[in-house]
Order: sequence, then structure tokens, then C-alpha cells
Amino acid sequence: MRGSRRQFMLGVGGCAACMSGLTNARVLPTDLEALIPAGYKPADADERGIWQSIEQIEESIQTSPQLLQAPAMHAYIRSIIERLVGRPTPDLRLYLMRNSSFNASMFPSGMMIVHTGLMARVRNEAQLAAVLGHEAGHYFRKHSIDQYRSIRGKAAAMAWLSTATSVGGGAYAAAGYGGAGNWIYAASAINAAVTMSVFQFSRTHEAEADAYGISLMSRCGYSPYAASQVWNQLIEERKASAAYRDKRYKDRSKSVLSTHPPTEDRMQDLADTAEFLSARNEQAVFDGRAEWLAAVEPHRAMLLDEQVRVNDPGASLYLIESLAQDGWTGLLRYNEGEIYRLRGEAGDQEKAAAAYAAAAAMPDAPPEAWRSHGYALLKAGKAEDGRVALNRYLEMNPSAKDAGLVRFTLAQ
Amino acid sequence: MVRRVMPVTAILLLALAGCAAPKQQTSVGYVPPAGNHKVVVMRPDIAVDVLTVGGLLERREDWTITARDNVLASLQAQQAKRGGQTQIAITRESAGGEDATVIALNQLHQAVGQSVMVHKFSPIGALPTKKDVFDWTLGELAVQYGAQSGYDYAFFLYARDSFSSGGRAALQAVGALGCIVGVCVIPPGGMQQAFASLVELKTGKLVWFNHVLSSTGDIRTQAGADALVEKLLEGMNPESQAKKKKKA
Repeated sequence: MRGSRRQFMLGVGGCAACMSGLTNARVLPTDLEALIPAGYKPADADERGIWQSIEQIEESIQTSPQLLQAPAMHAYIRSIIERLVGRPTPDLRLYLMRNSSFNASMFPSGMMIVHTGLMARVRNEAQLAAVLGHEAGHYFRKHSIDQYRSIRGKAAAMAWLSTATSVGGGAYAAAGYGGAGNWIYAASAINAAVTMSVFQFSRTHEAEADAYGISLMSRCGYSPYAASQVWNQLIEERKASAAYRDKRYKDRSKSVLSTHPPTEDRMQDLADTAEFLSARNEQAVFDGRAEWLAAVEPHRAMLLDEQVRVNDPGASLYLIESLAQDGWTGLLRYNEGEIYRLRGEAGDQEKAAAAYAAAAAMPDAPPEAWRSHGYALLKAGKAEDGRVALNRYLEMNPSAKDAGLVRFTLAQ
Repeated sequence: MVRRVMPVTAILLLALAGCAAPKQQTSVGYVPPAGNHKVVVMRPDIAVDVLTVGGLLERREDWTITARDNVLASLQAQQAKRGGQTQIAITRESAGGEDATVIALNQLHQAVGQSVMVHKFSPIGALPTKKDVFDWTLGELAVQYGAQSGYDYAFFLYARDSFSSGGRAALQAVGALGCIVGVCVIPPGGMQQAFASLVELKTGKLVWFNHVLSSTGDIRTQAGADALVEKLLEGMNPESQAKKKKKA
């Protein structure tokens, strides 16, 4: 399925270098017709089998504790999908999952999964539409079944080759012409090349889904540049994450074993395609920023909390600072403090205390900011100010889970 | 055309299967539930695949539906003979308890069952800590489910069956030709694998477990499903337990 990136690996031995000449050509967004009409039901045995196996997965997703219960957000994202597709889409079943990774996935039976990590990162409706359009591309272009059939065909060819080689090689050796070694080496090389072509095929699908998504976006008036912006943000975040760990940013999708094209290539292709589409399209474009910010607002605290707890300080700070470009809020400052507190390196305690203090100074500070600010003050020896802050926390959130603990501190 | 394994492969596989001949496992002091126990047969997890030329297992919807119906019918017939109040839960609703619990229990059973297979039935995976004990459990979740649903025991069954495609059978035939010239590499054919557990819902423990691994049999037919259920459950009734004790 189109699940998590790069998790699907076949047992491959070597021969990476011999295939590195393969390039990933940009797919143009014209002439990509939807292959799946409304109300589609598979007829072929292999496709029906895949749908049936997915039923079980979908059932466990429906009852998963990771499922995000957010009816308004769900309805909002649905409406973006329907706008993109241009019709009601009861055949696409959307699930929002609590997962801090930047990802979304599409199953061939119409199950679409959007991670909270994606919701945490997009800045406007058009950026979200870019990802949803890409996933819809996998569905409407039937990529999963294509991919499966291609793998099945290639596996069959490899099995025939291996069997024929051992029989042929055996006959060759038995006839007195010497060892069968060369036969077997030749067959392994061909098999490795075929295996590599599986990954190439997958990357072609990704490029096609990118093109399909961006054409949907452009057709219904979203700014097509939003797609390359998503990737730009992701690259910047990964660079920040690597820099914090004193490592150099390395794009893992540059490997010939990657199922997805290199991230920078995707970004460039999408930007080029946006240029191409903008030149053909006279209508005004919009990015739906206000709409997105209003929809995500009730979930922001949860989304930030989820990201901060991954304890990837570089990435989390990048996200907080990007959001703060629209102005710092109490919530952002509080989370900044949490990032430093969780990192816990020399000097981080002071940085965290400063961030909590900054949060508490803001009118929209969340209750937790007062709690953390209070404890930071106590640690710094400012007992009276600390007690005031902790009392403020209890006033704001009397039924907090840790209220007993805080009262105990105050009673000391 | 779909066919079972080629004869040569069948012999090889039977030799393999022989290593892991059915040998049921029970917890210490296990007494098969008889009389007025309420036993729920959880929705069995059954799938039938076609084995493609390249060795991929490809789910077949129609075979799976037929096999599921067949196995349910066999279980029903078996349970009717046993007495006790047994309910067969075909849908998750009929299993009682909350959806999420029922689904999670089925998945947990699959994971635990596979772990039992690896660590109790295969000499390579044997663990010193599990040598003379059988103490696997589905834990709190099963106890919770028992309280919710009112059942005393839950019976779980997991079964997978697969059959070579015509192409795979041809590949096996060509592979068999190699034996003439001394290179005998025959790709394996379809397999049947199943395991079943009885879980005591008061404690969550697996009190009985059995499995079947075979290169013959066909649960797409009623007779084949009956044979599988018979093989899996043969040691579960009180008489066979008593016999076993006498022998010991």
C-alpha cells in the first residue's frame, strides 16, 4: 500500500551503483485522467483480494485509540477533498490519526489517512490541499494495484530466471562444459536490476501523483505554488533537526532503494509545474490561510504537544519559530520552554525558564505555562513569586490531573 | 488452473511438517470446560491466498468467504456435540463487549499465537524460560472482555490456506526437471497453517493451544474445513485429556 515511506524493502543484494544512471523525469499534469469513477467496485480477482485484506486494516483503524476525534476538522478536510475532486466523495474514507510524523497515506480501496504531524506543519489550506491532492492521485490513478501487478510480474520473471538458470546451469555442467557459476552470476545481476526497477516504478508513481495533485489544486483555484512550499518547509525543518544534532542534512530519498523521488527534485518539479500552470491559468488563486488557521486553532495545543514530545529539538524549534512569524503567543512560548526542558543540556534550564516567563507575561498563556513558570521560579529561589504562579495555575485549571501535586508543593 | 503442490515438493514439505507435528499445549492443571460454561467462539480470522509464480501470496476474496463459511459451519457442528452454552460470534457485534476490545483481542491473539508457534513448536525458537511451562496470556484486555460480555471462555482460531497458481505449478515442474541433472531446486507450493486457543476470561490465560501446519487439505471445501477443525480440536475434549493422563 502507499503506507509509510521507505518501509517497504525487498531483500536486495548490491548492484545499486549499476542503476544509478536512472533519472526521475517530471510528469506533466496534462492528460492524467482519473481511472476510478464514482461508485467504483473492483472486478478483477487480485484487486478484490486487496480490497478484502484492507477491510481488516480499516476496521482496526476505526477502533484505534490513535484515531483523532475531531468532527469539525474531519468535515473541513473532507470539504477540501471534495472541492479538489469536484464531486461528493463517499468513496474516499478519511481518518485522522494521532501520529506526529509528516505523512498521509492512501489505500487502493479509498481509505485515506492523514497524520496529525501533517496538520501541525501545513500553513494554509492550499498546502494541505497539495498533500490531499497527491494522495488522491494515487487513488484515482490506481497506483497500488499497478504497483502490485508490476511486482508480481517481476517476481515471476525472477523466479523463472532463477529456476531456468539452475536447471540450465546444471545441464551445462552435466554435459561437461565446466561450472555453472557464470550462469548464476548473470541471473543474479538481472534479478537485482529487476528489483531496482520496482523502486524506480514507485518513484514514477510518486511523480505522477504530484502532477495529478497539483493539477487538481490549480483547477479549483488553489495556488499551485503551495505544493513546492510544503517540501521546502520540510527540507528546512530536516536541516534544522540535523544541525541541532551536529549532523549534516541527508535526504534519504536520494537512494536508488527509495520508493519516493529525492525531496529537492520533487520540490523543483512542483515549482516548475506551478509555473507552467500559472501561465495557463488566468483566474485568481487563493491559499485559504484564514480558513486553515481557524480550523486548526482548537487543536494547536495538542499538535504542538505531540511534536514537542518527539524530542527532536531542532525540528520542534523550527516549527515553533515558523509559526511565531505571525507573532508569538503564550502557547508557542510555553512549548518553546518545553523543548528546552526536555532537551536538558547545559543552559537549557535557564532558556526554558525564560520562555515560561515570556509565556506567562502574555494574556493568552495556557494554564500549564503558569505551572512551569511557577516551578522555574521556585527553583530560582523566588519562593513568593513561584507560589503566586502556581496558585494562578490552580485557579485556571482547578481539576488538573496534577492539581494534587501542585497543592502539595504549595503546602511545603 | 489452480493446483496443489507437485508430488516431489509435497514429500519435501511433509518431511518439514513432520518436524512440527501437531502437539497441543495446555496450561498446568487444564480441565477442558464441560457442562454449563459459556464459551464464545470469536470471529475466526481466516484467509485463503493464491501463491503466484514469483512466490507472492495474493488474497482471493471468493475463496476466503467460502472458507470462512465452511470453518464456521464445522465449528458449529463441533460445538453442538460438546454441550455447554456456546455462541459463535460471526460479526464483532455478536461477540458482545466493545468493538475496540473485540478487534484488539483478535489482533492480540494473532500476535500471541504466532509467538507460541515460534517459541513452543519450533526447536530453533525454543526458550529456556518456556521449557516446561505454558503461561501465555491475553492479559487484562481479555479479563475486561469477560466482564463486559459475561462469557467464561473465548475460543480463537486463525487459519491461512494457499494454493499454487497454474504458473507456479509449472515453475515447480521445471524445477523438478533440474533433479535429473543434479540441481534439485523446487520452489515450494501452497501451505495450510492454523492455530487455535482457548482463553479463560477470568484470568486472561491461554489454557489450551493447538496448531496445524500442512501441505495438504483444502478449507475451501466443507470436508476440508471439517478435517482442519477436527485436527485442531481433537485433543480438546475431556476423554482425550483423561487418556493422556493415564498414559503419562
